[in-house]
Amino acid sequence: MKLFSEHFNTENFLSTVDARVKLIVALALLAMVLSHKGIIFPLIIAVVSFTLCLRMRIPLRILVFRLAQPLFLALVILLLKFFFSGKEMLCVISLPTSTFSLLTLIGHKDGLMEGLLIAVRILGGVSLLAAVGFATPFIEFMAALSWLRVPKPFIEVMMFAYRYLFVFLEDATTIYSAQKNRLGYTGIKKGLNSFGVLTGSLVLRGFEQSQKTADAMEQRGYTGDMPLLKGKPLRAVELVGAVLVVIFGGVAWMM
Amino acid sequence: MRITRLAKRVKSVAFFFLLLTGYYLLFTDAAYAMHISEGILPLNWAVLWFAVAIPFVAYGIKRLKEISGTDLSYKPLIGLMAAVVFVISLMPIPVPTAGTCSHPGGTAIPAILVGPSISVLVAAVALLLQALFFAHGGLSTLGADIVSMGIVGAFTGIGVFRLLRRFNAGLSVSAFFAGLLSDWAIYIATSAELAAGIKGDAPFLPLFPKILAAFIPTQLPIGIVEGAMTAGMVSLLFKRRADLLVKLGVITPEQARGAI
Repeated sequence: MKLFSEHFNTENFLSTVDARVKLIVALALLAMVLSHKGIIFPLIIAVVSFTLCLRMRIPLRILVFRLAQPLFLALVILLLKFFFSGKEMLCVISLPTSTFSLLTLIGHKDGLMEGLLIAVRILGGVSLLAAVGFATPFIEFMAALSWLRVPKPFIEVMMFAYRYLFVFLEDATTIYSAQKNRLGYTGIKKGLNSFGVLTGSLVLRGFEQSQKTADAMEQRGYTGDMPLLKGKPLRAVELVGAVLVVIFGGVAWMM
Repeated sequence: MRITRLAKRVKSVAFFFLLLTGYYLLFTDAAYAMHISEGILPLNWAVLWFAVAIPFVAYGIKRLKEISGTDLSYKPLIGLMAAVVFVISLMPIPVPTAGTCSHPGGTAIPAILVGPSISVLVAAVALLLQALFFAHGGLSTLGADIVSMGIVGAFTGIGVFRLLRRFNAGLSVSAFFAGLLSDWAIYIATSAELAAGIKGDAPFLPLFPKILAAFIPTQLPIGIVEGAMTAGMVSLLFKRRADLLVKLGVITPEQARGAI
């Protein structure tokens, strides 16, 4: 499992843009994608975001892997809506069996349009979020969320979670391998038992580690508040750029 | 006439398998079992689910502030709990009926240990991390995901657990049913959210049972696995660190003495 920001590199212009600006623009464009009644606007956002990801030198393999799940979902919803929703008949597909036509699928024009709309919305939304995710490191995201008035305790909990995520992933993998080597997953009953023990062990480690972390932090002067990265003043050029992007987006949205 | 009836039957079977294939390939990847992907919900539904989720998350934050005011280890504990839930939700579980792997939700565990209000916060943190950095779920669908996995999952889990404990059911049995029913409640809520989101101008009711039916082959066994996991977790804690369960108010000191 790899984070978006593991592919982060500072050599592209989007990475140098303030995380707050990126987040606000992304949220504005996302709202436009979701509320647009046509398919062109979300498609434009998808193409632009995908191109940005490629310009950031994100390997195509990684991009496809990240987007495979939502892309397939888009395809399935499109097919579902086309064949099983709508009233205006567009085509009839008969799948012949031995001697007579057995399976008849009726494609609907209005169903196709509804399906396409949902599919391109998925495409637009996911690509947009991927572009922002690939271009922003975790700590800058947290600072941006703090600036957006997301409550500090929420961000602090998120930072603790992020810090220990990979430790627990490694622990879980080690325990799972050990259980597997001792034939802990050879039957349904054994497997269920092993999963229970694995979960319990992780929760126990979580409790113990949290106590150790709190003790270590207290010894270093922790009083219950964690400092967050303070954002620099927003640069005028970035603000103007953001406003222009949103205006262009707005114009395209209205067309 | 018979051929038409047969064709209709085949069509409905084809529809079911199409939904099923979509579900397996999309919803059961390395992620929370029942994420709703970015872009599926139209803006009005996304906003509505946020409006439902925000008061619960806000109350969770309020409780966190109150408790961490007197206990400095509480925030790290909740953060680490979110990390554990995140990891649990990535565990691949083979589903024999589907011939594939799926993943548990894991929300009943924090609900039992730290209570439902904090558990909603734990789920919200895990979901936001997944949406921002792993392409699982989404920002616009975060509200809907919090409602189904955080709120519905946590409150069902703790409700079942407390009810069964009140009727003197054993710790493991109560935890098992809490995990099981919490998972199934998440699946019903997610199906309802999906049906409402993609129905368009069509009525909600015909689509809802179809999506619900598509979830059955994975969610029925996954619910049982989730129940076993929750029971195993509680039983391990009871054996090794009953004092923690007492501290969290899951059992009384008298009950803990039975563990020694």
